[in-house]
Amino acid sequence: MSAYWITVLTQTCIFAIMGLGLNVVWGWSGDFDLAFYGYVALGAYLTIVLTVGKPLPPIQYILGYTLPYPLAVAIAVAVVTGVAAVIGAVALRNLRAIYFAITTLGAISVLYVVVQVYTPLFNGFNGVAGLVTPMAGTLGLSYDSYGYFFLGLCATSLLVLAVMLSRLSASPFGRLLRAIRDDEDAAAAFGRRVYRSKLKAYLLSAAIAGFAGGLFAGFLGSFNPTAWSPQEVLTLYAGVLVGGRGNVRGVILGIFVVYIAFIELTRFLPEIPGNGAFAPAVRQVLIGLLIIGMLKFRPQGIVPEPLGLDGPRPGIRWRFWQDPRTASAAGGEP
Amino acid sequence: MTVILRAEALNKSFGGVRAVNGCSFTLREGSVTGLIGPNGAGKSTAIDLLSGFQRPDSGSAFLDGVPLIGKAPHDISRLGLIRTFQSPREWASLSVLDNLLLAMREYGRESIWRGVLRPVREAPQRVRAREILDRFGLGSLINAPAGTLSGGQKRLLEFARIAAAGPRLLILDEPMGGVNPVLGERIHQAIGDFVAHGSTVVVVEHNLRFIEETCDEVIVMSLGAVIAQGPYAALRNDPQVVDAYLGEVQDHV
Repeated sequence: MSAYWITVLTQTCIFAIMGLGLNVVWGWSGDFDLAFYGYVALGAYLTIVLTVGKPLPPIQYILGYTLPYPLAVAIAVAVVTGVAAVIGAVALRNLRAIYFAITTLGAISVLYVVVQVYTPLFNGFNGVAGLVTPMAGTLGLSYDSYGYFFLGLCATSLLVLAVMLSRLSASPFGRLLRAIRDDEDAAAAFGRRVYRSKLKAYLLSAAIAGFAGGLFAGFLGSFNPTAWSPQEVLTLYAGVLVGGRGNVRGVILGIFVVYIAFIELTRFLPEIPGNGAFAPAVRQVLIGLLIIGMLKFRPQGIVPEPLGLDGPRPGIRWRFWQDPRTASAAGGEP
Repeated sequence: MTVILRAEALNKSFGGVRAVNGCSFTLREGSVTGLIGPNGAGKSTAIDLLSGFQRPDSGSAFLDGVPLIGKAPHDISRLGLIRTFQSPREWASLSVLDNLLLAMREYGRESIWRGVLRPVREAPQRVRAREILDRFGLGSLINAPAGTLSGGQKRLLEFARIAAAGPRLLILDEPMGGVNPVLGERIHQAIGDFVAHGSTVVVVEHNLRFIEETCDEVIVMSLGAVIAQGPYAALRNDPQVVDAYLGEVQDHV
């Protein structure tokens, strides 16, 4: 495998983990969270400042510890979850739909500006750097094999997370979140704690975002405001929508479609001299067209959200191309 | 006579409108009570106040002596008071089966950790759900997404969910809205069934024939207050009640 493909696959695995986190809050819980990428960024920044040691002037950032990479990621996840608890507790109490989205957009915009302007936090616009091939020394990995190792780490993380979230999706908790998404008053009338359940989903989603941020930091080695922006989350939303909102496997598929297919296809576009932004712009346009096309012709995504069915093998099942909704409504299941 | 619910001087204003104005009544355990009154009498608001969806400006209410006012809707539901809404509020993207499993009053299943660590089979709950769905004639639709059901089927699903929850006090908000006579008979039977299983029922309804056939007594509300309570036969000639409500619809009865 070429170094190029290792890079692309590693990055897409990390984006897929982000997509899974976004799916918890948007796919299951139904909350259009625009602060999501802020949790990714916070996870990445914290992972770096917890591992690379004291800053050398004029560089400045907080903490500056030399913790082992896995421990740093774990702490980053914990801190990100704590920040999400504050934002979620405010935003989820009474705000729904567009009001929730605006509040979370406000939160990430504030975070973005603070990180850029307040230099003592994460070195402002220049960002933090120096997390080179984490754990390579401990594991005795050469520079050549490290790419494979980190891809394996990201792919394994994605797989473990996908299994856990698939179980959760089929569990009564997943069912509860979907019910709250469909009609939260009815859920409350049947004794379900709407606010607490939504907050749990929000924290789980933020924790996954923080974890993805930790992996992203290990992958990039450095992190600064040009590496992320509040709009970044919209491409993730596109992936979740295309693959199948609410379906774990669909989300992974959608992220791979959006991030790999589109980036790869647009590589072969002709270059227009003096207009270097042509290919990236076409990519954005194509993603936009894909979203519109999906919403028009297959709003449930490539792999629709699974349905809790009765039968010999109880629990949630899925079919790749067939929508289980229409299949079972027609009496397809025994 | 055991009192299951006591509402005392409930008040609720929206702007300058006193939607509920000193509303007081008691309910007997095991009774079916009709709550009637003209549009705007405050019936739906009174339900919202009792079930915690709105907070009254003043007044109190007790279910089995436990105060309800100030509690959240889910806490009141967990005390055994289940209410419905004017239109069926199914969880549209869930299967009919999941709609029933989620209506059951067993909340411990919905933990994140249990969900991740080992599959929750819910075998006894599934057996119960199947049995209830068969009883309501929805057995063949067990795997259908609830949002694809017809209007009448959604009504039946609402009653199946109530059966799954087994409420102590059930408040039905206009269960006969858009319902044909055959289905109406089924709803009448279902209410009798709930009472046989130990529920007390309140029905808000404009269909007075249904009220007459189903309810042991009626509460008449007008302008946010209870103006009369007693057996329907006795109240239909009460001049105050006729004046407030029955006069305008008696021709249709």
